[in-house]
Amino acid sequence: MSDWELNRIQSQPLSLDALLAGSARSDCGALAIFAGTVRDHHQGRAVVSLSYSAYAKLAEKLIREIEQEIAERHGVAVCRVVHRVGELAIGDTAILALARGAHRAETFAALRALVEAVKQRAPIWKEEFYADGSSAFVAGCALVTPEDAPPAESRLHCLPSHAQVETEVEEPIEILGEPY
Amino acid sequence: MRVRVECCGASGRLAGAAQLDVELPEGADVRALFARLGERSAEFAALLESCACARGDALVHRATPLADGDQLALLPPVAGG
Repeated sequence: MSDWELNRIQSQPLSLDALLAGSARSDCGALAIFAGTVRDHHQGRAVVSLSYSAYAKLAEKLIREIEQEIAERHGVAVCRVVHRVGELAIGDTAILALARGAHRAETFAALRALVEAVKQRAPIWKEEFYADGSSAFVAGCALVTPEDAPPAESRLHCLPSHAQVETEVEEPIEILGEPY
Repeated sequence: MRVRVECCGASGRLAGAAQLDVELPEGADVRALFARLGERSAEFAALLESCACARGDALVHRATPLADGDQLALLPPVAGG
């Protein structure tokens, strides 16, 4: 499967083989892979399942842009990310990310930056379902166009999102990349 | 004019619908759309403060003029991974 044919947003279980396909490079001595799986707890609450949704038109484009941006910034040859949407059970894979570079240092760094950037900038939402029958959308990062960003702000910050059933507010997390 | 708004994430739950059709005066921009949507409830208005807006595969800023038939998306703070 070519890089372009690989959908970044997928409603079926993610395949590591599909992520790896066609990514091998003879000039790369390092391959780093990250898998994010569904955890059974969040902030002390028992989680029984998750539901991910995405605005796919923009997410597909943005994830490809993030891959290119991170590859250039860290000097690695290949970055790829696929993200699952739909209902996920505990242990299911929600995200797979891959980086290939000449050496391990920049490849590890690229992989970490890649995952962070997708979590903070791709239009994807996560709703947690708890053991007590309630649910909540997980706090996230506000997307801001350059035109709407406050002039004094040189970096964006994650903002607490709206929690639908029971509010859980996470501490703000700085986005270390360029303002989006 | 009329625009269609896809309500993503928590905004869909708050709106009680996956999409909304909104009537706006000619020449309205995204800011005017958000003001109209905020009339639905104080809770929705609060969420809108941290929402972005997309048209097709691009984010649009608050001063972007809208046109009849536009298909937009309301994007609350994101939390993938």
